[in-house]
This record gives sequence, structure tokens and C-alpha cells, in this order.
Amino acid sequence: MTHYDALVVGSGIAGMESALKLGDMGYKVLLVEKEASVGGRMILLSKVFPTLDCASCISTPKMAASIHHPNVTAMTYAEVDGIERLEGGRFKAKVRQKARFVDEASCTGCQLCEQACTVAVPDQFNYDLVQRRAAYIAFPQAVPKKAVIDRQGSSPCTFACPAGIEAHGYVSLVRSGEYEKAHRLVLDATPLVGTLGRACYAPCEGECTRGSLEGTLPIRRIKRFISDEHNASDNDLGIEVSPANGRKVAIVGSGPTGLTAAWQLARLGYAVKIFEAAPEPGGFLRLAIPSYRLPVETVERDIQNVRDLGVEIAVNTPVRDLPALKADGYDAVLVATGTPRSSQLGVPGEDRLGVIGATEFLRQVKLGEALDFNGKRVVVVGGGNVAMDAARVSRRLGAAAVTVAYRRTRAEMPAHHVEADDAEKEGVGFEFLVAPAEVTGDAKGAVNGLRCTSMRLGSPDASGRRRPEPISGSVHVIPADVVISAIGLAGDPTIFGGALETGRNATIAAHAGTLETGISGVFAAGDAVNGATDITRAVGEGRRAAHMIDRWINGLPLEGFDLRLPVVDKAAVLVRQNGYMPRPATSGGTTLEAAPTDFREVEAALTEEEARGAAVRCVDCGVCSGCNECVKACPVDGCIDLHARDKVEEVEVGAVVVATGYKLFTADAKPEYGFGRYKNVITGTQMDRLLAPTRPYNTVLRPGDGKVPERIAYVLCTGSRDETVGNPLCSRFCCMYSIKQNQLVMGALPLAEVTVHYMDIRAPGKRYDEFYESAKSMGATYVKGRVAKITEKEDGNLILRYEDIEHGGALVEAEYDMVVLAVGVQPNRDAELLFGADGLGDGLAFNEFHYVDEPDEDINPGQTSIPGVFVAGTAAGAKDIADSIVHAGAAVAQVAAHLEAVKTKVPA
Amino acid sequence: MSPTEPTPATARRIGVYVCHCGGNISDYVDVQAVVDAVKDEPGVVVAKHTVFACSDAGQQEMEADIEANDLDGLVVASCSPKLHVVTFRGVAKRSGMNPYEYNQANIREQVSWAHTDDPGGATRKAIGVVRGVIGRTRYSDPLEPLEIQTKQKALVIGGGISGLRSAIGLADVGLGVFLVEREQALGGWVGRFGPLFPHERDGHALIDSLVAEVRKRPGITVFTGAEVVSKAGTFGNYQVAIRIGGDELQTIPIEVGSIIVATGFDEYRPAEGEFGAGMEGVVTLTEFKELIDSAAGKGLRYHDRPVRSLAYVYCVGSRQPGGNEYCSRFCCAATAHASIRVAELDPGVRQYHLYRDIRTYGTFELMYTQARKDGAVYVKYPDDAPPTVSREASGGLVVNVRDLLSGDEELEIPVDLIVLVTGMVPRKNEDLVGILKLPIGRDGFFNEIHPKLRPVETMVDGVLIAGACQGPKTSAESVAMGLAAVTQSASVLKKGVAELDPLVATVDPDKCTWCGKCENACPYGAIERLSLNGREIAAISEAGCKGCGGCVPICPENAIDLRGYTDAQITAMIDGLLEEAIA
Repeated sequence: MTHYDALVVGSGIAGMESALKLGDMGYKVLLVEKEASVGGRMILLSKVFPTLDCASCISTPKMAASIHHPNVTAMTYAEVDGIERLEGGRFKAKVRQKARFVDEASCTGCQLCEQACTVAVPDQFNYDLVQRRAAYIAFPQAVPKKAVIDRQGSSPCTFACPAGIEAHGYVSLVRSGEYEKAHRLVLDATPLVGTLGRACYAPCEGECTRGSLEGTLPIRRIKRFISDEHNASDNDLGIEVSPANGRKVAIVGSGPTGLTAAWQLARLGYAVKIFEAAPEPGGFLRLAIPSYRLPVETVERDIQNVRDLGVEIAVNTPVRDLPALKADGYDAVLVATGTPRSSQLGVPGEDRLGVIGATEFLRQVKLGEALDFNGKRVVVVGGGNVAMDAARVSRRLGAAAVTVAYRRTRAEMPAHHVEADDAEKEGVGFEFLVAPAEVTGDAKGAVNGLRCTSMRLGSPDASGRRRPEPISGSVHVIPADVVISAIGLAGDPTIFGGALETGRNATIAAHAGTLETGISGVFAAGDAVNGATDITRAVGEGRRAAHMIDRWINGLPLEGFDLRLPVVDKAAVLVRQNGYMPRPATSGGTTLEAAPTDFREVEAALTEEEARGAAVRCVDCGVCSGCNECVKACPVDGCIDLHARDKVEEVEVGAVVVATGYKLFTADAKPEYGFGRYKNVITGTQMDRLLAPTRPYNTVLRPGDGKVPERIAYVLCTGSRDETVGNPLCSRFCCMYSIKQNQLVMGALPLAEVTVHYMDIRAPGKRYDEFYESAKSMGATYVKGRVAKITEKEDGNLILRYEDIEHGGALVEAEYDMVVLAVGVQPNRDAELLFGADGLGDGLAFNEFHYVDEPDEDINPGQTSIPGVFVAGTAAGAKDIADSIVHAGAAVAQVAAHLEAVKTKVPA
Repeated sequence: MSPTEPTPATARRIGVYVCHCGGNISDYVDVQAVVDAVKDEPGVVVAKHTVFACSDAGQQEMEADIEANDLDGLVVASCSPKLHVVTFRGVAKRSGMNPYEYNQANIREQVSWAHTDDPGGATRKAIGVVRGVIGRTRYSDPLEPLEIQTKQKALVIGGGISGLRSAIGLADVGLGVFLVEREQALGGWVGRFGPLFPHERDGHALIDSLVAEVRKRPGITVFTGAEVVSKAGTFGNYQVAIRIGGDELQTIPIEVGSIIVATGFDEYRPAEGEFGAGMEGVVTLTEFKELIDSAAGKGLRYHDRPVRSLAYVYCVGSRQPGGNEYCSRFCCAATAHASIRVAELDPGVRQYHLYRDIRTYGTFELMYTQARKDGAVYVKYPDDAPPTVSREASGGLVVNVRDLLSGDEELEIPVDLIVLVTGMVPRKNEDLVGILKLPIGRDGFFNEIHPKLRPVETMVDGVLIAGACQGPKTSAESVAMGLAAVTQSASVLKKGVAELDPLVATVDPDKCTWCGKCENACPYGAIERLSLNGREIAAISEAGCKGCGGCVPICPENAIDLRGYTDAQITAMIDGLLEEAIA
């Protein structure tokens, strides 16, 4: 554990002053700042009163000194997670270096990542007037001038994707018009871009935060758009492929697991051969999923991606002898044989003519075998997606009646609800709470019906679904010419002649994390191991298999596959993003017919306008989208690591200085002033940004329409001296910063009229009143009386209603171009989290207004309720900069006295 | 040390950086044009412009350039050297260059801000200024800072609350302390009062506890009835003489590293007739405070008559155009506190507050709110129409005032007592000011170097100011400033050594003939006569010299030069400046 004499929490002006002065005295100081730069709020100001010094000029020397001082260790983008008191009066603090995702030592501050970043969020350093990127350098004078990536966690869509596709990332790239880059980002995970763009059940969309606003983003269809765009171009895949490494991998099975694993391994330089028993590659993609959902050409195009990397696919080549493959020179083997068989109904009459398994049925159709269902009555048994596919295909083959027979109710059906709805719209009928008892037939042995037992739902089973129980004696027959069994899918582990251990339900046994089987070098993944799942899981398994095989071949520990950050809290995202405008949701785009007759795709592609229009609705839940553009743009290899994690360090310190500063009053808490609704109502801190040398618009103009304001009003005491917002205190500096801005605005806009609506002008400091007088003599007008209400006119001008106290008290309405709310100070209650109550007494005491309490302020400014813990600056209450600096100086004297006293008492 | 021969100009390797200062400079000065104009100057190896030279990124760029190009001279054209000379000397030092080979060209205060109406002219002037400083740098010499041993002791002047707390603070960080108080008793203003705002701490008790703490600390030596009569020496090593009164005057010499001046304030004394001053029943705020303090148990009485009504007239002696123009800061809160205490003594007393702005900043606002809740009436009078106080024929006092809060109504308020809310004025301390060379601001209070960068320091190194001698403030604020001065003292003295700039005057002993003119010209007493090899010459105390240059032009033998501003350098600067003007 590192030892310091003092820990200073917060690097605003008071924190910097404390750290530097303690350092000058020879004490070792740890300075912890939660933002990416030291400097706090002062560096964001334009100039400072009453000297009109440039705030940058006064701050930057102290900022630079804070990180260069030999006795001060400054940690930026770090938080103090908790401070504990130790016996003997010292403290133990947990300091968490938040992941910057950028290596601080390698970053040169070149800003290429910032320029490449596809996510824009409100810029807190410009008080939300403009936006900054997720990859950003805090502000031009930042110290250290190093980038950080604002990556608050996994976005829910990305986190939800079992395939490990950066959903947020490609949406963000589409929003930026970078379709080819988006395509490459999906290719990073899987070659099956077009396939997933059509046939995936899009768990991402189920998690989309926008879903609780006006509707989820069509993330899957955006992917299809990306794929269509790429396919319509003659662009190369554009992905990086490592040179051949001389190693060979055999993959058994060419479904989504096998194809994805092959793709990933080929990119790593492996020579990969896929062995496929069927006449066509693609597994279920090619041989089961009906073409109206997933056209054959799409699958073939995606498989071509794999072939383009040199992967050989041998069809009609079943593998029976796994050890022989190894003997053939394959360094590793992946078994990804899926679940090609339909489970049997297990009822009498199952061998009758006209009974068929769903997978066999779908496969025949996809392989183009002519099946004539014209006029036939079809019963599909089962309630999963395969059942829906079989039923809808049957309709397309001309079946007169298609009935899905399911033993529970609609609510328990495992099929995706959209599939069930679409089936119903296409004329498929449903019989619920029926279980097949017997396939009945005619004399010739052909099917003529399905005898069913009626069921009812009993108590829930292990899966949580209510178990169907037969109602005794309730039997009826559904007339049928064809019975399709779609009650489940299974693999066939016996094909390898007992070489592999088997698991439950005819699966292959493999380690869930490493995917190793009992045979060294043979891995198994996908549905063959897990039972039937869906394409995204199969893709994810393929990626995992490739990762593990690569590591196994290289003798590395089989770990490190899932590097996702924890998912962000959607509620917090919505709170953060409540300024986002509602936008129209994307319409469905599916055309269904009651009696479909062909296998044309039922869902239309998104137009470019629709795709981008949908993408801009993204609220950037995790902030960073994971689009990876910064990683590619960064000129220093390995500098950006999007999988970095916070690091917690424990330090022991002799004293603590709490310099956590203040929060600004949130002006929308005074709804009568319209902040957040009226574009031309801004806060005083925003006006300071407009006047600063690093000003966002390079001039003072009103944000609503960019007009140069001619009549500007200030409303003082916004959120201060105001019981209606629970703050009876005066914030001490708003009068003065307003007066300062009055002077600066009159300098910047010589024609502008400035009017200040005040309660009392509080200019009680050295040269402050003189400063007020000079603002008056420059022409600013000061009007006594609190503003009651602001309303907005259509042209964006604002009407202020107030009682004109000094002229008879009449109610007056005055019109302005722009209104500046002189917002005041609120306590930064984060300070309350620093000290928990511990064994040595209560935690840090706060006063009734939630500022750090100074129990003996008159004689011992800076002392708190805990010996050895001190407070500097506005953490103890509102102060202007000059008072904060003096207060910090006082706190430092207290810290030094404490450290000296402890030193004297306890000889080192 | 004899002046070194300047390195030939052409052999220099100088880096020049022209700062945008965000837009402070680049909005008016064409920084690219400046770079283009100077990049081929003799000796210039690197010339660039930079958005914020002082930012970490800007500094790093310069450090990299210095190392890569083996630079031996650095010029930053930016703001006033007052702001950043230390910053950029640090850049030079970190990258292995002698820090005194750095020179700053001020193209902000002296160029861009001064010529916002003439960008072309500003650019031309900036080119001249930068060229001049490049010229100066061409003739710069490597210098080493003067290192001086510092005394681990401090002197505190003034035994009021700020001085007492400073003395304790100094002792607690391990410094020896001398505390000098002019009066016979410690305690200053606070020691005269009962409960103080905002925490109702009793002034006498506060002072008693502080005095007890002082007595507990053997490291503090207290002189009461004493005055500082002389100061010699320099920062870190001041020799101060203290004269103690009593039966026989006695002068005690002490040696200290720093001096904290905490001499406090005087109450504004209104002129006879000013708002009725001098009339029976018209008192100052201090007098009223003492009246309240002594009223406990017997109700508020004035000259043995109960006070049933009173009016406070604010801003007496403060915010007065042509008079004291400053605001006295503490009086609004002090008056709100007085009002609350009067209401506690007797809720029936009618209290009228005749004010301009109520400046109960921060938590003091709670007292203002309380005073109003207690029934006090606040009347806002126009800045240009103050209330008038008169005595009616019946003998009663009456105050006439215009009330802006009730539609500019003329009020005539008969009252028993009028409290003139008198502010603070600078204490008369001419002797001390002369001895310490304390800088005085326009308001008459002592001046800090910079209210934010160096709030307790004065232009005299090691002489610090604390409390109301710097400007009106409350007792708690005075205490805080006293402790900040402790911190400043300790941050310099604790190390035991301090570095001073070597930019001091030097005498060429061969040329000097000792005429004594320089000695008379030196405002710091840093020049003495010295016998050297049978000749009399001038000797300059390096620690005492402030580098003001006053002695240089006076020397008839041209024997004095100022390091960092040698004749060669000044000539080169003039040449550089003029080149542009002539062209």
C-alpha cells in the first residue's frame, strides 16, 4: 500500500491550492480528480472578477504545477470510493482509477480518436451548449492533455447479442453514413451479415432503451441494410487477415457455428476445412429456414465470405472418425454438427404415410424437392419457431388448412411472437391445449387425422412454464392428410461411434467455457452441445470455439473470451438522456398475405433514409458505441483498449482534504423560467462559455437561432435565496459573475443592451463594488425585483414578467432576445459517500444544507467533525474563487498542524 | 562575477513560440504572420504558433523541441511575464535548458488587448516585440538562482484575532513566532465584543481561548505595547527591531524569515453632522454593538432611557462616490445580527433598516431572513438620495427617507436611536508602511500581489498580509486569511532554503570609482561601499537587490549592469523593435 501524507479529493481551485501548498511544505500528496483533467470549474470560465484576468491564464499554471510538482501525485479520471479511519489517526482510502480505455503514457493528445469517434454527447465542459465525442480530451487546456473514452458500460443491445456483435457500434456507424465500416464491424464477429440481418430474432431490439420511449430501433433491419449496401457495391470485405500460420483446423458441420468458427480461424491465419454431410453448406440456414424469411442467395453470399478467406467446404462428406482427422494433420477439430433431426412424436401411427419430421420437411423444400400440398389438410405438432416455419411453408405449398396443435396455450409457445402472429396472418390455425395421442389412418396406411387429448395447465415445471396435464376422457380427432412433427430438434452424437461423451437429450458433452471434449484437441460447440437454440447463439459459440482453439493451439490458457463491460443501467440512461427529442418509430415493413403462394421475402429492406433515420434515434446508452473507429485511428499501437477495467488501489494517508466543490443549481427546477424548453434561456455558466477564449460558437449568440442578441436580461438569484426550491442561502458569486459578464458582453457586443433583474446586488469584496459601479457606468441597467415568469414568443424572444418595485410596483412585461439565469450553488452531495460510519465513530458530519460541516468555523476554518479530515473551498459552502483559495490556504495550515502533531506524538 | 562575453548571436539555437491564448491574441494578431516574420531571425531554429502555450500539451511540445533541437534559448510570445515566466522557466529547466535563457514577449496585454481595433497594426507591433525579445535572448547568459538559507521563524504584527490565530498556526507547523501588539492587551476588535455573528461565539471568550493557546506554546514570544521600528535584511533573513514601551524604552533585535502583517482596521468615524453624527441618540455600529452587549437583563437602553424604536442607516462611510468607494462587506450581516439580538432583548422595539443593497452573502442570508421574521422593516433608499437625520422641535430624532420598496414613498420615521452602520477604514500605520515598504491599494488597504494567485503575499518577498488590513472582512474570514498566511510562510520557510531570482545588478569593480550615486538611487538599501584592494567600490547585496535597474543608468562610469537586462540585451531589444517600425 502506498503511503502519502495527505489525500486531496477534488482538483478544483481549492484542491489544487491545497495540494500545491502541502507539496511546497514538503508533504507527499495524492490528488484525486474525477474528471479527465485537473482544474475544476474555474478553467471553464471566461474571465474572473474583479480583475478581469483570463481564467485560463490563472488556472493553467496551477494545473500544470499540480501534475509536475515533485511532491504531488495527481490521478485524474479517478474516484475515491471510500475512506476508512485507522487506529492511530491515519486513514485508508480506496482510490479507483476509472478505465480511460486509453493508455495515459502512450497517448500524445493528437485527437485522432476524437475525430474518428461516431458518438456525440452533450459536452459537460461547455455546459451542454455543444456536443463532444465519446472519445475526447476534456478541453483544449486539459492537464494532462490525454484522451479518455467515455465508455460507461456495455450498451444493452450489444450486451444482449449472443453472437457478440457490436450492435451499438454498427448503428452508430450507420448514423454517420459509414455503411462499409459498419459492415466490417459485423464481419469482425461473423460472416453471416445478410443472414442475421434477416433471420435473427434480434435480442438486441428487446433490450433497446428507446423501446420504452417511442419504440425500439430496428437494429436487425439496419444490419440487413448494411449487408444490402455492401452487396450492391463491389467493395472488398476490407477486413484484416493474418498471414497463414501453417496450422490446420477441421470443422465438422457448416451451420452458423461452423461457418463463424471457420471465418474467425481463417482470419487468424489458420487453414480451415469444413466437412459437411449435406449436399449444400449452411446447416439450418440453408436447409431449414424458409426462403421467405431467408433467401438462399443471402446464405450463399454469406458463405462465400468464408470461402473468400480460403476456407474449403467439402459437402456430402460426413465425418465419422474424429481421431482420423487429427491423424490427417489437423491441429484441432471442431464438432459443430447441430441438431438436424426432428424428435419423434412417440405415438401410435407415427409410421403412417403422411407423417414427416419438420426438419426433414423443410430440408426437402429448401433442396427444391417438389412437394404437392394442394388441397391438403396439414397438422403441425409443436409450438416453436420450426413449427411456425413448417406451418407457413405448408401454406405456401398450397395446403387447404394448416393447424398448429400445441399442448399449452399461446402464451407458453416458444416461437417468437412475431413468427406466431405472422403465421396466423397467413391463415395458419391454432389448436391449443391438445397433445397428440395417435396418428389415425385409412386402410391404405395413409394419414387421415390426428387424435388428440385435451390438456389443462397444471403447476409450473422446471422451466417455469405451467405443465400441461391431460384431461381424462377428452379426446378428439383433427382431420389431417399430413402430420408434421415439430416438437423438438436433436443431434446425433452416435455418428462418431462413441468417440465423444454424450450429454442429456442427445447432445455432445463439452466444457461450457472452453468447449473442450474428452479428446484432446477436439472441441464441440453450438447446438450439437447445447441442443437447439438460435442463430445468434450458434454464431457466438462459433466465435468462442475459434477463440479457444486458437489459444489451445498456441498453448495459452483457455480464457478471456467474454470481455464485455457490465451493461449500463437503462433507467440511468433515460435520466441522462431526457433531453432527447421523441422521433417517429420505424414502421414494420412486413407484407403478409392471407394465402401466400410463393417464397418471396416478406420483409422489405430499409431505405437509406429509413436506416439513417432509425440510427439517429439511438440514445448511445453506453456512450461509447464500440464501433472501434478510435482503435483504428490511433497512431499508437495498443494505446486504446476498449476492454480496459477500472483499477482499485488502496492508499494510506495521514490526512484528508475534501475539496469536492459544488454543483450548479439545475435551472429547469425553476420551470417558470423555461430553461430547457426555451432555447434562448441559458444559464450564467453557459454564458461564461460563450465568452471564454475557447468559446463554442466563437462569439456570443443565442442558441435558438444563432442571432446576435441585442437585448439581454439577467435573472439573478435563480435557485438562490429561494425557499420554493429549498435553498434559502445566497450563493455568493452569482451577482459578481453576472456583473463581470455584463462588462464582457458589452465589450463583445457594443450594441447590446444588458438589463439585470436583481434582489440585492451583492458586491461585498475587495474592489467588487467598484467593479459593479463600472458596469453601471458602462451602461448596464440594474432593475430591482425578482422575475416571476418568463414566456417565449414565436420568434424565440422572451417576455419577462416582474414587479417594477422601484417605479411604483407595477407589473411589467419586458421583451428580450436572450435571458441568462444566474444560477447559484448546490452542495455536491457526492462528498457524503467518502466516509461511511466506521468503528471509530460516525462518518463525516454535514450541516443542514448538506455542505461539509465546519464545527469551529470561527477559529478553525477547514476543520471537520473528524480529526485529520479537512475541507477546502466550496465543499464547505458557497464561496467565490478568491475566498476558496484563502480557505484552502487555511485548510492547509490545519493539515500541516495535524500532521506535525501526529508526527510529534508518534515517533517515526 | 564579471559579465560573460555574449555568445555570438549566430551560434544561438533559439525556439520561438507564438501563443494564440485561445483567441485572446490570435483574434487580433495574425500569429502565423508573426511566426513567418521571425522564423529566419539570426539564431532562431524553431518557430511555431500554439493555441495555449501554457497548457500541458503546449509545454510538452516545447520540451520535446528543446531536447530534439538542443535549443539554448527560448522565447514565448504570449501574456505578461507576471503570469507565466515561472511556468516557462520550468519548461526550460525540465528539458535541460538554463531557465534564465527563457524570455517572454508580452503580445497580449501590450499588443492584442491594447489594439483590438487594429489587427494589422497589432500584428506589426507583435512582430517587433517578438523580434526584440529574440534579440534579448540572443545575448542571454545562463544564470543560477541565488539560494538563501531561511530562518525558521516568523514575525506576526498585530495581536487581533487574525494575528493570534496566525501565531498559533505558525507554531503548530513548527515555526518559531514573535507576536508584536501595539496595545497593552492582545485581542484587537474582537476582544471588545460579546456574541458575534453568525455562530454567537463570544468575542471575549474567543480571544481568551486564543491567548491561552498562545501562552501554551513555548515557540511563541509575545511583545505587547510594542512596535516594529526597523527592518533590514532580505526575504528569509529579516532583521527586525522591536521597541517595547514601559518605563524604559527597550529595543529588541530579532531575526525572522517572514513577516505576517495583521494590523486590522479602524472603524469609519463619520464627520460631525454626517447622518446626524454627533447628535445625541446617533451612534456608530460599534457603539451600538457595545450597547447591545451590555444590555443583557436590562433591555436596550441608551443614556438610561429605554429604546423603543431605532433606525439603521446603512453604508455610512462605504460605497460613497468621492469618499470610501468600497463596500465594507461585514456591516450588512453585522447589522442583521444586531437586529436579531435587539428583537431577542425586546421584541417590541421597532427597527427600521435603511439600506441600499442587503449584502448578507452566503449563510448570512439566514440572519437577514430571521431579522425580517422578527419584524424588522427594511427600507431601500436610492443611491443618490440618502436619508436625512434631524431633531424635531420636541427633541425627538426623525429620519426622512425615500422608500423604493413602497413606490418611492417619502417616509418620516421618528425614532429613539439612530445607528449609523459604519464600515471599516484602513488603519493609519504610516511608520509600519514605511518600514516594511507595504504596498497600499487605491482603497487605502494593503495590497496583495494577486487576489487569486498570491492572495496573502505582497510585492515585498516574505512580507505577508492577513485580516482586515487587506480589506474589510469578518473575523472568521480574517482568521482564514491568517492561516493562509501561515501556509504561505511555511511553504517557503519549512524547506530551510529559498531560491531568489539572480536578475540583480552587478558592479564591474575595475570601472567603479565609488561616487555613491548608486547607493542613493537604491530604494532597497542593497548597495554599500566596499574596500577592495585599497580602492573603494560599490558592492551590491544579491539578496537585497530587487533588480529594479535604478542604479544602472545613474552610474557615470557605466560600471553597473543588470543580469538578464544587460546593456547588450537592451540594445538588441531596441534594435529588434525598431526594425519593424523602420521597415
